[in-house]
Amino acid sequence: MKTLLIGEYREGTLLDSTYELFGFADQLGADAALFLVGSDSRLPACNCPVYLADAVSCSEYAPDLHKALIVEVVAKEKPDYIVFQHSSYGWDLAPRVAAALKAAQISEVVAIQEEGVFEVCCCNGKMRRSVKSTTAQTVITLQTGAFPLRQSEGNPQVIEVVAGSPGTMEFVGYEPAEEKGVDLTKADVIVSAGRGIGKKDNVPVIAALAKALGGELGASRPVVDAEWVAHDHQVGTTGQTVAPKLYVACGISGAIQHLAGMKKSDFILAINKDKDAPIGEVADVLVVADVLQFVPAFTAALGK
Amino acid sequence: MIKDEATLNVMVDTISQFVKERLIPIEEQCSENDQIPHEIIDEMRELGLFGLSIPEEYDGLGLTLEEEINVVFELCQASPIFRSVIGTNVGIGALGIVIDGTPEQKKKYLPKLASGEIIGAFALTEPDAGSDAASLRTSALKDGDHYVLNGTKRFITNAPEASVFTVFARTDPSNKGASGVSAFLVDKGTAGLSLGKNEKKMGQWGGHVCDVIFEDCRVPADALIGLKEGVGFKTAMKVLDKSRTHISAVCVGAATRILDEALRYAMDRKQFNKPISDFQLIQAMLADSKAEIFAAKSMVLETARKYDLKKNISTESSCCKLFAAEMVNRVADRAVQILGGSGYIRDYAVERFYRDVRLFRLYEGTSQIQQLIIARNMVKDASRS
Amino acid sequence: MKILVCIKQVPDMESRFRPDAAGTWFVEADLAFRMNEYDEYAVEEAVRLKEKLGGAPELTALSIGPDRVLEPLKKALAMGCDRAVHVKDAEVQNKDPWQIASIIAAYAKDQGFDLIFTGMQSQDRGSAQVGGFTSELLGIPCVTTLVGFAYDNGTIIAKRELEGGARGVVKLKSPALVTCQLGLNTPRYPTLPNIMKAKKKEIVTLAVSDLLKAEHLTKTTSFHPPAKKGGGVILEGEVPDLVNQVLGILKERTAVLR
Repeated sequence: MKTLLIGEYREGTLLDSTYELFGFADQLGADAALFLVGSDSRLPACNCPVYLADAVSCSEYAPDLHKALIVEVVAKEKPDYIVFQHSSYGWDLAPRVAAALKAAQISEVVAIQEEGVFEVCCCNGKMRRSVKSTTAQTVITLQTGAFPLRQSEGNPQVIEVVAGSPGTMEFVGYEPAEEKGVDLTKADVIVSAGRGIGKKDNVPVIAALAKALGGELGASRPVVDAEWVAHDHQVGTTGQTVAPKLYVACGISGAIQHLAGMKKSDFILAINKDKDAPIGEVADVLVVADVLQFVPAFTAALGK
Repeated sequence: MIKDEATLNVMVDTISQFVKERLIPIEEQCSENDQIPHEIIDEMRELGLFGLSIPEEYDGLGLTLEEEINVVFELCQASPIFRSVIGTNVGIGALGIVIDGTPEQKKKYLPKLASGEIIGAFALTEPDAGSDAASLRTSALKDGDHYVLNGTKRFITNAPEASVFTVFARTDPSNKGASGVSAFLVDKGTAGLSLGKNEKKMGQWGGHVCDVIFEDCRVPADALIGLKEGVGFKTAMKVLDKSRTHISAVCVGAATRILDEALRYAMDRKQFNKPISDFQLIQAMLADSKAEIFAAKSMVLETARKYDLKKNISTESSCCKLFAAEMVNRVADRAVQILGGSGYIRDYAVERFYRDVRLFRLYEGTSQIQQLIIARNMVKDASRS
Repeated sequence: MKILVCIKQVPDMESRFRPDAAGTWFVEADLAFRMNEYDEYAVEEAVRLKEKLGGAPELTALSIGPDRVLEPLKKALAMGCDRAVHVKDAEVQNKDPWQIASIIAAYAKDQGFDLIFTGMQSQDRGSAQVGGFTSELLGIPCVTTLVGFAYDNGTIIAKRELEGGARGVVKLKSPALVTCQLGLNTPRYPTLPNIMKAKKKEIVTLAVSDLLKAEHLTKTTSFHPPAKKGGGVILEGEVPDLVNQVLGILKERTAVLR
């Protein structure tokens, strides 16, 4: 079985998520070749052909042009699967490639099931579907984080790909993310401080972890009432109700008023000295430790 | 009667979204500040909520009663104060003009009431005339081409915000009964009309109520609704069937919300290692509330449908008001009980609703007045055969 | 100028979804339906463009499905669309994204639309394919995941939402198709008077068999809830070990550390 993996490159960086594509190919037990619009100074570590188009001349975003190049490579490589990340680049490009190839597309795969059947998310992530393609070639997009990052040593065999005609769109450039006020309901990661952190001076320890995880600072009510953190960070009945991908509860006992505000989070990590703290009832992982010892060590480890 | 189900569903869906996204999030703030922000009232205007029951020919939505009830069920999932803002325009404040107004009066007021440009108030109750409304004392004495009003009205909803008052005053001093009473449309700012201080109420904070005082207040003769004296009280009574059904729907909506809050709490709250919703005594309270709400809702829908078929619903509407108002108070009481100590704490919506719904047993005809109406109708109907 | 906005009706996402008898989709009875949230942004953007151009463009809303899709179509009309097209299909849930796109393309191909707006994905199936497929079938350019849109005399400036909140700015010419991301604008509530006025707007009914010529390319073999989360894990020990364990667990079970 053969896969053509579509890597991603942005603003001078080869995105790590590219290695999840290899992780998928491994699980499938398939050979891989990579297609990338990028730079020869940022090649992936892999032992396989890398069809490389130059990001400067082909533009980082020119989906009709990228599609045309991929279709050429597909004609050469004849893969069974053309695999994208389900990212803003991937979900934009994949259907165009699928339509050009008259191939089925299966989006946001979370698992490989039996022969040719893939599991995908649906209904806002609450449910799953098993989907099968009926075409010889199939376009796949992978849910971020669903497949392991696989790096291998090796030297890629670079095959240069040159664009024919230019695309029909003009990529004007990137705009940085806006500075916004705190909106916990939109955060993917929230790290919350509870009374167990001890005193106001320790809030920065928790905030540092939030930053290291690319998330927002949350707080339980007692911490807000004591004015250690402002009210717009409060999670719970009288604060905000949140459901991020990761919720880290630091020194929070888990009173019902707080639980009601965060128990629908995808993954809950709690750090508490008390093994029997009620937060343990909703936590996926309860770390029994002193918050002020665990959190700085954890933040430091993330920085590496 | 539902004239167009798909259209009604789009309306109900819109209200439901508006309630969830705009009203419920600011309920607490409105209560704490005793104020509904202007932006919210403007949004309610834009949505067209003020014109629910005014006929299409006067720029209202002209909904049937059954359609109006369905909208009210949704709207009243949020605090009753929001419905209260539109309540007079949708009900008693406008319907009197709709039923008995002259074409000029209808044209002058109804489009603006429908758009919410002006808020109406219904000034019937007085310090000495509550349930015994017909004994009211505010006088309206003819003087040339004016009437001069003197008297005090009490507990008038939306009075501080109102631009027009439907005022019931006695035009025939020798007639101490209902047929001596006439209805007038008095604009805010008329000399001799003043307002008292906002009352400090048990609940429904954000909704305002105060005295309306008439001291030699001169109103032009064409302010008399229908230009007919002695008809005003009858006009008010004609409106009541519809408004009682409407207020019953308000009670059903509020009860639905209250029960939902109690249920969620019971599922989250753990005691003795289990969610309290597993315990039978809690389940009994939840079940009783659920069954009663269903009963009230069914009564209200049935009554509205009958009204839309142009049948007399005087007894049924009183039954609805009696049952629904008492029911929502029982539902609120059980909800506080389910929440335990938390039900006594202002952070929880249940605490606020408990205070808010007490009013429903008192206004728009007390539960006791409803009982009298029902019993008298029963005897009258039985005596005829 | 002619604009098309494609909308889908989906169930309320707060619902509990139960697999149907075939086990390939959810049971529809007892579900409340509403307009796909992404499509609300698409309708709003299309209406705003129409208003900006003085009301001149003719704005058509299209939806495929049984009679219940008349509701989101009426909502679109109440929000400001001029007319609606109902492609009647009692079995719409059995059509895959390729088929849906081919139905839309079959309708749109001779209509001369300058712009087609869609939501970037549906909340129920969420495949994010229909917009891209439709643009390829029609041979027009497409940009997805819009959080910014501007149109001036045939030129579109689109801002795409990228990971991390940054934006990619793209310039293209109409005719084109754009797919809309949440937050592109603030969708208006259709006012009750506008909902009433929408009753007078034209709704054209078409039979899906007249438009659908494509076979499905994918097949759903199962619709099921995710495997149950295991119970919580309690970790005790020395801090350095705990840190390593937690890093490992987060890497394995969440996407956060990628």
